[in-house]
Amino acid sequence: MKRKPIGLLLVFALFASLLAACSGSGGNSESSPSPSPSQSASEGSESPSSSPSASEGTVEPGGETPRNETLYINGLQWGAPTNFNLLSGNPAFPINYGNSRELVYETLFMINMIDGNLEPLLGTEYSWTDDLTLHVGLNPAAKWSDGQPFTSDDVVYTYKLGQKYDINWTSYWDYIEDVTADGPNAVNIKMKSDNPNKLTVTESIEIIPMLPKHIWEAIETKANNDLAAIRQEMNADPVGTGPYKLFFYNDQKITLIRDDNYWGQALFGKLPAPKYITHVIYKDNAAGDLAFKNNQVDVSQQFTPQVWKMWEDGAPVKTYLSEAPYYLPGSMPSIFFNMSKPGLDNADVRRAIAMAIDYKKISELAMSGYSGDMKPSLTLDTPAEAQYVDQDAIKSLQWTTDIEAANALLDSIGAKKGSDGIRVLNGQRLGPFNIECPYGWSDWNAALEIVAQSAKAIGIEIRTSFPEAPVWTNDLQTGKFDIIMNTPAGNVTPANPWSRARTIMYSKGVAPIGEMAFWNWGRYQNDRADEIIDQIPLASGDEAKSLYTELTKIWLTDVPSIPLMYRPWVFYTVNESVWKGFPVDGDGSNNPPQIAMDGAGIKALYQIHN
Amino acid sequence: MAHSFGILLRSPKFLIGAIVTLLILALVLIYPEINKNDPLSMEALAFQPPGNGLLLGSDNFGRDLFLELVYGIRTSLVVGLIAGICATAIGLLLGLLSGYIGGIIDNILTAITNMFIVIPSFIILILISVSINSRSSMIVALIIGFTSWPWTARAVRAQTTSLRNRDHVNIAKISGHSTPRIIISEILPYIASYVVMAFILQVASGILAEASISMLGLGPYNTISLGIIMNWALVFEAPVSGAWWAFVPAAFAIAIITFSLYLMNTGMDEIFNPKIRS
Repeated sequence: MKRKPIGLLLVFALFASLLAACSGSGGNSESSPSPSPSQSASEGSESPSSSPSASEGTVEPGGETPRNETLYINGLQWGAPTNFNLLSGNPAFPINYGNSRELVYETLFMINMIDGNLEPLLGTEYSWTDDLTLHVGLNPAAKWSDGQPFTSDDVVYTYKLGQKYDINWTSYWDYIEDVTADGPNAVNIKMKSDNPNKLTVTESIEIIPMLPKHIWEAIETKANNDLAAIRQEMNADPVGTGPYKLFFYNDQKITLIRDDNYWGQALFGKLPAPKYITHVIYKDNAAGDLAFKNNQVDVSQQFTPQVWKMWEDGAPVKTYLSEAPYYLPGSMPSIFFNMSKPGLDNADVRRAIAMAIDYKKISELAMSGYSGDMKPSLTLDTPAEAQYVDQDAIKSLQWTTDIEAANALLDSIGAKKGSDGIRVLNGQRLGPFNIECPYGWSDWNAALEIVAQSAKAIGIEIRTSFPEAPVWTNDLQTGKFDIIMNTPAGNVTPANPWSRARTIMYSKGVAPIGEMAFWNWGRYQNDRADEIIDQIPLASGDEAKSLYTELTKIWLTDVPSIPLMYRPWVFYTVNESVWKGFPVDGDGSNNPPQIAMDGAGIKALYQIHN
Repeated sequence: MAHSFGILLRSPKFLIGAIVTLLILALVLIYPEINKNDPLSMEALAFQPPGNGLLLGSDNFGRDLFLELVYGIRTSLVVGLIAGICATAIGLLLGLLSGYIGGIIDNILTAITNMFIVIPSFIILILISVSINSRSSMIVALIIGFTSWPWTARAVRAQTTSLRNRDHVNIAKISGHSTPRIIISEILPYIASYVVMAFILQVASGILAEASISMLGLGPYNTISLGIIMNWALVFEAPVSGAWWAFVPAAFAIAIITFSLYLMNTGMDEIFNPKIRS
């Protein structure tokens, strides 16, 4: 019996892999750990009191920085840093694009996710001088970290990189005609007259990080204006306008050092408190959580299950909100219906599914309770976004979890239950419908399991399927799905909720099923909705509000998508054992929980103290 | 036949293995009749420890883990059985053909078998599981069966080759019996005991294979198996939050089932292989 030892070995292997799971995958969609050399937290294990000496200039790059001068953060970088080149497509922390990370490069304005306002940084003010031109004033005091002044030439140059090459901010040039200097300290952004969009252009001034022309022109020349060659540039010592410079990096950590000549002292009144900022690269979520628990990390941008247990155990840990849902909502992961699927093409069926889903259970079981009460709308349930829609006008259309009403609705349209408990509508059995999201995105997997379970209660059969992420992406774009989960236009930007509404409902330019579509994956079609989505970017004030309200009503009536949960855009959990005074709700500072470095969140660095 | 069965029952190893297997079967068949709840319904809070009417606590979805475990064992046994039948049938067929017919057919079949032995079957299993779209437990069982037949084929071939030139086979040949008839009536009975033992091992390894690919997230959808229970426990970091009840019972159940099957196999081995009969 030669097989026996192998078989027994398998039994042991099974046990072993289970035990090994203690360090297993974190795998939620916000943080996707990838393997890196095994290394557990060794940084900052020093206790805060042990090195009070301010070691001015004595720390070698790579050496241990004093704990009480260093801010540790996790959850933004998984795996060894590859480059610090913003144009490369995958730069390492802190150069990432899309979050308005203001540490090394700065944006013109800082977005504040609490009220949605843009606060001055490199820019001083912005205004629409006519229907098509955005005038942006620049701060004359601003300087690059190599001492060169920051001028309108740099802004024009940075914008035009997006016109010249296919990079992150190229899509803004769909709406922008030209960017021109208006003296050394102002620029004009002119929109295309045939495709103007005030919302996305306003978004661009808070999201595009400014690059120094005098550095990047040289890199371009060296690379012969070839994007592929520019992408090879390591840019190991990035020159930006921000308050920090790159100090040290290896495959275990990235350390930034404060630029004591930072121009923004005039703007903020002082220098940011931490002399160093270090991002330790943890192997996975669990390792990062453990380090956070042991006071080795100050700001955690990781999903931490049952975070309240930390302060119940007496740890000096805080989240922005002291009670559930603990984090501010930033996006709405939703399910999208294939509008051409028999059965699902009926709005009442979709509405019944929406009414059957137990949103509270999704929040509890999938999100550790980090999602507030579901108030279905195209807007997030935050003051910044809710103001766009007349909440009283849509109230009667909003659904709540009500199995009985959902069953009654299905009965009323003549969908009778068959012998197997599944309803049949006009000869079409309601199910099995496949519902899909990538494997390993645990909160989404759980949400869909709950949806499938909820639908069972109203006689609709939904089956979950969790393929690998590339399969899911392909199914999503080509429309090969019954029901599929995705986040429509996340992030807090001036372009939302418009860009979310467009992602969900806009049918112009959407390829038919079988070809790639990059929004409106379910191929929803409503001419009035298209019209409204075309109008909103040029409307303002009450006009915009009535358009948004009408659009939300159409969405609530047609139900092309159902939001399942509110998800924080970034998780913001702080440990105050070393640094104190992090912004929290109700401290009167209006400093948003943008992990102390994104957009207006960076103001936290001026607020904290030892 | 009755005689060898009598001997079998006198082997303590076989007896223990068989009793444990029967007890598990009884539990799996009877408990769902007593507790008619849907094993997938989410009743309790996440990761509740055992107690308060929940024999083994709840999983990350707040589902009754004991009920899940019972359904999980059932799925795993069914998957193991189908995989075992499938693998044994293929292995037996190819082994008998190549062993008895010999010549070029033997060479070709042996080459194919060896190829499958060289490629780790688990990797084929993963690749197939990733590439097919609809995954029911039946399909997973068939995939496991189709990837685990080679060693059965080899062993059967070896035994058949040694039987091929025995006198009684030659007599049957001279008597003009057809090849299928010779294989069935002159060769099969001599290797039957071996095939039964191989089958039991195939069932056990089928259960393990299902658990392994389910733990990787490649198992059947929309059902509960022991591997899937453990997969959810891993995905939701049950070991980190100390919820041992979410994965230990499932792992233990796998160990018990496979161990009792191996025990039966060893017991049979001692009976049918007089050299090691004590």
